[in-house]
Amino acid sequence: MTVPTATPAGTAPSDPRDDRAPGRLATVLASPGTRLVGKRVLLAVPIVVGVSILTFWVLNLIPGNAAQQLLGPEATAEQVRALEQELGLDQPGYVRYLDWLGAAVTGDLGTSLVSRQPVTALLGERLAVTGELVGLAFLVSLGLAVPVALLAAYRPGRMFDRVSMLVSITGLSVANYVLALLLVLLFAVELALFPAIGFVPLSQSVAGNLHSMALPVAAISFPLFCFYTRFLRGDLVDQLQGEDYITTARAKGIGPGQVLLRHAFRNSSFGLITVVGLNLGTLIGGTVIVEQIFALPGIGQLMLQAVNTRDFVVVQACVLVFAVVAVLANLVADLLYAVLDPRIRYGSR
Amino acid sequence: MAVVDAAVAVEAGPVRGRAGAWWLRNLEIAVPAAVVALVALACFVGPLVLPVPPPIGGSVLESYLPAGSPGHLLGTDPNGNDILSRILHGGRSSLTVAVAVNLLGLAVGGTLGALSGYLGGATDTVIMRVLDVLIAFPSLVLTLAVAQSLGASQTNTVLALAFFSVPAFARISRAATLRLRELPFMAAAQLCGTPGWRVLARHVAPNIAPQLITFAMLGMGIVIVIEGALSFLGLGIPPPAPSWGNMISQGQQSLSATPALVVWPCLALFVTVLAFNLLGETLRARWSGR
Repeated sequence: MTVPTATPAGTAPSDPRDDRAPGRLATVLASPGTRLVGKRVLLAVPIVVGVSILTFWVLNLIPGNAAQQLLGPEATAEQVRALEQELGLDQPGYVRYLDWLGAAVTGDLGTSLVSRQPVTALLGERLAVTGELVGLAFLVSLGLAVPVALLAAYRPGRMFDRVSMLVSITGLSVANYVLALLLVLLFAVELALFPAIGFVPLSQSVAGNLHSMALPVAAISFPLFCFYTRFLRGDLVDQLQGEDYITTARAKGIGPGQVLLRHAFRNSSFGLITVVGLNLGTLIGGTVIVEQIFALPGIGQLMLQAVNTRDFVVVQACVLVFAVVAVLANLVADLLYAVLDPRIRYGSR
Repeated sequence: MAVVDAAVAVEAGPVRGRAGAWWLRNLEIAVPAAVVALVALACFVGPLVLPVPPPIGGSVLESYLPAGSPGHLLGTDPNGNDILSRILHGGRSSLTVAVAVNLLGLAVGGTLGALSGYLGGATDTVIMRVLDVLIAFPSLVLTLAVAQSLGASQTNTVLALAFFSVPAFARISRAATLRLRELPFMAAAQLCGTPGWRVLARHVAPNIAPQLITFAMLGMGIVIVIEGALSFLGLGIPPPAPSWGNMISQGQQSLSATPALVVWPCLALFVTVLAFNLLGETLRARWSGR
């Protein structure tokens, strides 16, 4: 990479910051940045559709049919057939998929086969819990990883660097469920500082909510912190060692701290944004097991219950939510690039 | 010319100390490799030569024996089964699943990625778009659904996990192939009239192998963790057959009374994954010449 603040060549006609009043909107719409946004959004749609088709197909592989499952083993063949008809299960797969897709586009994700509640209502409250969990985990892990990586890269090979790299490779090797159980063992069983399971809604008590979220957030954010620290430190060291713009900055007499913060970190932040964007998709799937251990009423727990009761309407909706979040996260990362990096904003790359 | 990367890696490898055995000069590879070898040896050969009882079919009369009891080095679980024996047999299934998944992922993903990168054009676009869908997919979620629908078994776990390891291998293989495509020896091979499959097999494959093998080392750790998660949720290796994941899950029910039931399999999981991660990280640093 070169300097992100390099003067872009030949950008006069499509500069979105251009303040000429007439045709400003047209200029913005025609700018490479806007076209990039459009292209990314168009690419994201088939991915989400592809994921939903794949899920539908897999769920149709399930041999134990949902109607039989709902009625129990004593149900007669007629009862099963009647329920199948009522639920539309007798239709061929592609008809059911298109029906589902048509309804999903209008915001109707169907009705749970087990609880007979609208799926959107089930999702709503649970998304808030998982959202809080993931949001807090990101805040904690990034908030710690950035300063630690900067300090480690400031003097590579020194004590702080070595210790932080050792901690981070160790942390990466701890599965989040292993960490979750060890945290419960230490902080809930031995020290009795935090509750082992249970969830206090935010509306009930903010302090109680944070107290009940502390261990789950720690279990998710520690491996993340390790991952980001390693990534950012590695990228910073690469930038500092090999890039011409760093040599230039140093030659101008800028201090090492300023070179690290103002020059290397600005460039490395792009890689970090991509990684965070890619991570969010896996992370939201990874909360399933942590929600299970701490009995948090999140979307992961909902999905696990639905998988076990073969409530495929709910499973389908949960997978859709996970996929949309993953795709959106990548999209936002791409767009942040465009906002932060003038070379992409002006279409010179 | 087919071993460009290997030669570069040897030159770029940090040369510490002048004399001494190879393993003394390469401790950061030798130590994790030795740990991996030791774990594999203990799990696959251990139960055959060590005097450990079978992992299932214990007597309830012998449940919850403490560590160091006669005949039960690490004690017994709630069903009276020997914990050490279950850890060794559990490791056997974890390692088998991890090796199978990574071999499948490497073979299928590596080939798809190399084809995609080498041929380019429409083939590339189609393969990469399909893989984009798989990457956007929350893999644990689908693996759960597959395990639930086809029944929990070792084969189904391997197939479901291998399916989702394909995109990662394909991406790495494609990126490595794209870098190779610009090198003069590739042009030379093509100018000689070498058929495409032969270029892929003789020139591309040996050169992208180091990156793929390095990723497979990291992949071993990832698969062991995910397999543990599936078994933990009751959708991986079906009990009573032991696996580290279902041992942790079983131990969780009496976490406060007998933490040892959780601690031992957690430790086994951690040490194995750490060894694979260290090995993968060191190899990666060497291949990339950092």
